[in-house]
Amino acid sequence: MELFLQTLIYGLLIGGLYAVIGIGMTLIMGVLGIINLAHGQIMMVGMYLAWVFWTFMGIDPYLSLFLAVPLVFLLGIFLSKYFLQPLIEKESILPENQVLMTVGIGMVLVELARFIFTSDYKSVETSYSSETIALGNISISLPMLIAFVIAIALTLGLFQLLMKTDLGRSIRATAQDKDAATLMGISSKKITILTYGIGSGLVGAAGILLLPMYYLYPDVGPIFTIKAFVITILGGLGSPIGAIAGGIVLGVAETFGATYISMGYRDAVGLVIFLLVLVFLPGGLKQVLKI
Amino acid sequence: MKKDKNKPAFITKIELIIIAVAIVLPFVFNFSPYFQGLLIFVLIWVILGTSWNLLAGYTGLVSFGHAAYFGIGAYAAALPYYHYHISPWWGLLTGGIAAVILGYLLGIVVFRLRGPYFALGTLATAEILRIIFGEEEWLTNGHSGILYMTTWVSKYPYYFTALILALGAVFSVKFVMRTKAGFYFLSIREDEDAAQALGINTKKYKNISTVISTFWAGMAGAFYMIYMGFIDPEVVFALHNISIITILVGIIGGVGTIWGPALGAVVMVLVQEFFRSSFFGLAPSWISGMHALVFGLLVIFTILYMAGGILGDWDLIRKKLSFLRKAEVSE
Amino acid sequence: MKIKKLLTILVVVLMMVGINSCGKKETGPIKIGVLLPLTGHMANFGTMEKNSYEMAKDKINANGGINGRKLEFVYEDDTGKPDVGRAGAEKLINVNKVPMIAGGYSSSVTFAAAAVAQQYRVPFLVNTGSVDKITQPEAFNLTTNDGAKFYIYRMNPPVSEYASGLEGLLSQIVKPKSVFIIHENTAFGTKGAKSFAKTAKKLGIEVKGNHQYSAGTVDFKPLLLNAKKANPDMVYMISYVMDAAMLMKQARQIEFTTPKLFVGAGAGFTMPAFKENAGKASEDVVSATLWHQSLPIKGAKEYFDKYVEKFGKDHTPDYHGAEAYSAAQVVADVLKRCNGKYTPETIKKALDATNMMTVFGPVKFTSYGKKIHQNKMNTYVVQWINGNLKLIWPEDLANAKFVYPIDWAANWK
Repeated sequence: MELFLQTLIYGLLIGGLYAVIGIGMTLIMGVLGIINLAHGQIMMVGMYLAWVFWTFMGIDPYLSLFLAVPLVFLLGIFLSKYFLQPLIEKESILPENQVLMTVGIGMVLVELARFIFTSDYKSVETSYSSETIALGNISISLPMLIAFVIAIALTLGLFQLLMKTDLGRSIRATAQDKDAATLMGISSKKITILTYGIGSGLVGAAGILLLPMYYLYPDVGPIFTIKAFVITILGGLGSPIGAIAGGIVLGVAETFGATYISMGYRDAVGLVIFLLVLVFLPGGLKQVLKI
Repeated sequence: MKKDKNKPAFITKIELIIIAVAIVLPFVFNFSPYFQGLLIFVLIWVILGTSWNLLAGYTGLVSFGHAAYFGIGAYAAALPYYHYHISPWWGLLTGGIAAVILGYLLGIVVFRLRGPYFALGTLATAEILRIIFGEEEWLTNGHSGILYMTTWVSKYPYYFTALILALGAVFSVKFVMRTKAGFYFLSIREDEDAAQALGINTKKYKNISTVISTFWAGMAGAFYMIYMGFIDPEVVFALHNISIITILVGIIGGVGTIWGPALGAVVMVLVQEFFRSSFFGLAPSWISGMHALVFGLLVIFTILYMAGGILGDWDLIRKKLSFLRKAEVSE
Repeated sequence: MKIKKLLTILVVVLMMVGINSCGKKETGPIKIGVLLPLTGHMANFGTMEKNSYEMAKDKINANGGINGRKLEFVYEDDTGKPDVGRAGAEKLINVNKVPMIAGGYSSSVTFAAAAVAQQYRVPFLVNTGSVDKITQPEAFNLTTNDGAKFYIYRMNPPVSEYASGLEGLLSQIVKPKSVFIIHENTAFGTKGAKSFAKTAKKLGIEVKGNHQYSAGTVDFKPLLLNAKKANPDMVYMISYVMDAAMLMKQARQIEFTTPKLFVGAGAGFTMPAFKENAGKASEDVVSATLWHQSLPIKGAKEYFDKYVEKFGKDHTPDYHGAEAYSAAQVVADVLKRCNGKYTPETIKKALDATNMMTVFGPVKFTSYGKKIHQNKMNTYVVQWINGNLKLIWPEDLANAKFVYPIDWAANWK
């Protein structure tokens, strides 16, 4: 029973982190209708920024959320404005051209990082990196708990943004029907660019939350890209609440898989769930939860 | 290259020249097995790119998991060797078939998906296979991979085997695209629902396209095992190094053109190797780290400025180039 | 089939034509290929080995080189991937025309590249790749009597012997009753785990679990929780450096304080980066090792000090560096005994006759069991004591006292 409880709690915690990685993707997929295969790489950029701030200026990673995330946001704006947006207006045989563009972008980001920082592992060792908090018999790592709390906060914040503000309403309208939104006087172009920026900023934030408990190298991204789209499909496109549900489901399922089946199959658990959801529940958890 | 006749010849003059050059080329590079090896890699990518192109470029089913078929083909050649010492050369029979079977089975699941969902579905299946083949050690020897002492040191037999496969792939695509099925593929790509409404059995034709495509991907995998003599799940089921690069080969050369992927394969291998070897030692060695960067930039450039790929936008490129030439002359 | 035959004949003819006279300048440097992971997730190790090769080369050349000619290493980056490693080996042989290859870091890369060297009949001096089959001719369709046809030589002990030094410590002092094995899902990890399970059986230690993970895992806690639940006397881990650090850090987080020992199987656990990243959690962790600078081997300490002097205090070399340095010493020694003719065949003959002392210990290629061309060596045990890697076993060679029993809870406060 104790093992079960521990597994559940660690699954929940890692799920919270997955959720932040997924929220950005769910927005991008919802509004732009593309899979962002540069997602993990953008997260890596955020991590390197935070690492630079920490190493050269001694700025705490959690503080650098306020510095690095806006930078990553700007990077996202830049990428979508000059690399993704032009493709929408262009005629091409495959509608997947934008997806492939993100592949190219991802490759370039990784190689630039390798050029600047080499392939060496970097990590941020703060005083609290390995602090733990006892919860009955279960001890929880502090950075993981912080990540979880911030994840929830970010999700709720984003939910408010989408529901209560004009910007949010425009984003949702664009996600639902681009043409109709344009007719309603929304500049869908602007919204698309902005959404990619927000999505990038969010995944950058996820990377920074991950940094104190993990490490960093140029190829850190791809496994998280895969997690992100699993969560997106699981939670349903464009839904932040769906993403947090999806993230937590993924985290818990993986952790249970790793504990009770085999650690080696950990990554397969999510992918199998993902395929099942794709085929049998195309709307994702959003459809079930009705949000 | 339009001809006035109603139906152009199956093999054009230019294609005959390409084949002739391909036959002579390894002898020209006789002095360097290394260059011959590069040529073989080009051919492997020709097979893979062409195979992907039929499915994605002509039928509109953009697969992000071609590594699944490549890997299955490779293991179809490797497993009988690993367990019973049966020569991997038999893989040239079994590899394609194994991939077709897998393609058909996966089709049941992924054909229910459209657009980006199809892409994600194929990507996920390839990843699942990678994990399974890594974990089931009793069957596949896991991550230790399967090693086989290759039959010859010389590159010639491999080169010509690969050339036959590559030509087979290219011309089978060319052939099928001249039949009725080819038109149905295109109609599925343009609008699946409309095609269905017109009475085309879209499922059947998607399956036909998949069978041909996966067959060649499987053959490429089997050949890879025979030629390289070593595979492990991370190599043959690789998301980036196989699935994604396959797509990029198609994109750069020209999606939905017969020879586009072949051209893309040439460009991709040349760019990578030019940089990896620091222009064969002529440039400072730090350049060798830039090969992936340059390739990434090339992809971005292609998508931004020649969405049809080099072959697809050939007329446009020629115009631009001729403009440059004129400008030079007038100066 | 006729075509194939014709082709084969064609090939043979062309090859004969193709053999060009390789009598280049006789005064230029002698080039030897080195295959190492210089980028990718093993770059840490590859860089240390490359540095060591270069240090050795500079010293050799400063002392007159190889019979008056300079020695030069041509590096090829295998990026830690077997297919790239094979291409790299081919390139060294075909393009750089080296008569010999050294290096070989990861097990699977080394093994895959060894097949290339074997096929081209170019001697390959392996210095780190440790999976057993690399020096087992049967893996290359040969028998142990085929020494004359077998071109692979290995300086370092195979992975099945990594823990042999540990046996004494376990059976005489710690006397654990049970062990939990955690390993990376690579050739090195899987084979290492298997052979340690055998060792455990021999010593009467119960194996309570044998679990694998894939490199780069974020969350090891499910695995560690299983281990904690099994309540073993010791945990044996086969991991590269970042995973090693993550394992110990997370063991600390879940307060896995019950084992008497946490033992690493070399690889990541002896690297300075392990200590840096695991921090407090690295303290008192024990690891098998193949070398330590305090061993009574001529030049060992000198190599260590020179390396630290050159690359800084944060870059202390461990056994991987020593292996590389010593491989370079073997290369120089072998070349000197080639009588001025540097072909794969003369080099192979010289390798067969090798019997010398290096900073890594004595090197001589012998055959035993299923292996041939294998250097036999002792292995040792080290422990992280107050942030320094100290040799603690065997006792007569130790430069520090084994810290035992260990109070993990106090360590990790």
